[in-house]
Amino acid sequence: MGGALRGIFGYCFLVLMVRIAGRRPGKQMAPFEFVLIFFMGGVTLTPMVGDDQSLSNALITITAIALTHYAIAWLKQVSPTFARIVDGTPLVLLRKGEWQTETMLRMRLQDDDVMSMARDQGIQSLDEIDYAILERNGEISIIPREESD
Amino acid sequence: MTTVIHAVIGYFWLLFTVRFLTRRPGAQMTPFEFVLVFLMGGVIILSIVGNDRSETNSVIAVMTVGLLHRLVSALAVRYRGFAAIVEGIPVVLLDRGEWRTDVMRKMKIQETDVMAAGRVKGAKSFDEIRYAILERLGSISIIKQKE
Amino acid sequence: MPLQTKPVEDTVPKINNEVAVGEDLDFQRAWWRVERGIWIFFLVLIIADLLGAFGRGWLAKAHATTQDKSLDVSYERIQRYSTPSILRIKIPGSIVHDSKAQLWVSEDLVKSLGNQRVVPHPDRSVLGRNGILYTFPVSTPPMTLQFALQPTSIGTNHISFQSPGFERLDLKIWVMP
Repeated sequence: MGGALRGIFGYCFLVLMVRIAGRRPGKQMAPFEFVLIFFMGGVTLTPMVGDDQSLSNALITITAIALTHYAIAWLKQVSPTFARIVDGTPLVLLRKGEWQTETMLRMRLQDDDVMSMARDQGIQSLDEIDYAILERNGEISIIPREESD
Repeated sequence: MTTVIHAVIGYFWLLFTVRFLTRRPGAQMTPFEFVLVFLMGGVIILSIVGNDRSETNSVIAVMTVGLLHRLVSALAVRYRGFAAIVEGIPVVLLDRGEWRTDVMRKMKIQETDVMAAGRVKGAKSFDEIRYAILERLGSISIIKQKE
Repeated sequence: MPLQTKPVEDTVPKINNEVAVGEDLDFQRAWWRVERGIWIFFLVLIIADLLGAFGRGWLAKAHATTQDKSLDVSYERIQRYSTPSILRIKIPGSIVHDSKAQLWVSEDLVKSLGNQRVVPHPDRSVLGRNGILYTFPVSTPPMTLQFALQPTSIGTNHISFQSPGFERLDLKIWVMP
């Protein structure tokens, strides 16, 4: 059935797209990102349904997607390299007063983005930050400088 | 070919519509805003897919939007002005004991919204808050008074 | 049943011997290169699509005629699965007898390319010879027939047209998934 094959392909393609389309920095998904995600998912499903609007096609497609999801999760468990490819790696943005400029540029981040996250934790300025780390899911973790007297 | 054009126009239209529609206090989208998001996304999808249900069409549309998103992100990093238009900038709401009333009015934020954000950070009253800042995505950051 | 446990060790690599981050910059640099390649590839695909290389565009439009000019076909040589496409055949006066013209089409036009209907409606359709023989009423030649296709078979498809007594025209149509 076409739905199953398209389901598997669609799922993998979406994983790839989300991985490489990149996220705007922030703790939560911006409304626009919701729109984008919904859009990409919605467009991807149209060929899966196609002209076949039967219940069986729908169920088979959904099952194929769920199985692919499970397969990917299992592969991530089994192979750290695969997990690295699919999820990425945490990246250091700011290290003890020094910006990691290559990373910032490549990940398309500005100092504003780091500061915005920091303000959320009540930090007032950049010199109060010890480390800033871009997590795999796009969040930025801030480790404040220890008070040391 | 119409797919790509539709996708490009659809992307920018959605980007700016959502940008102007949502900059609410608090970090969550209201249920109604969720509905709006689904609605707008859905309408754009229908216009892009049309009567072409092939995998080819869907892949091209998703690729186009992905590429656009990447491009817009890259431009936002290079050009602050562009970022300001596309994402907005943080604005100060409360500055050392004084409310910025014009900002509060324009962004349709009430003092209770700021206090709610403050409570999350453990502030018991307004005088424990030194700065309150409305971030680009709508959340309010609280910087407490130093001891 | 006893719990399965493992003592916590320093398994997440640290930076500066301080913060356990687990960063893998070598991998990340390689990944950035791969990403760039993927985006360029996507851009190429999108440009190809804009040009019509995947159907519904300039590159996909095709035109074929028989040597004896009995048939003149305008069609899309690249089509997409279950996406409507119109195939036009111009019928010249030379194949018209008694205000009627006969046209044989190979069965794949219906089977693989999902022909939905023919405009104008034929007077007669006779199944035979691995295809359908249509008889059309023609008042003033030349006349254009339109076949509304909706392909159901992905890949290469061969179809043929022939007006009895005249040259046969073979076409190849590629259907994208």
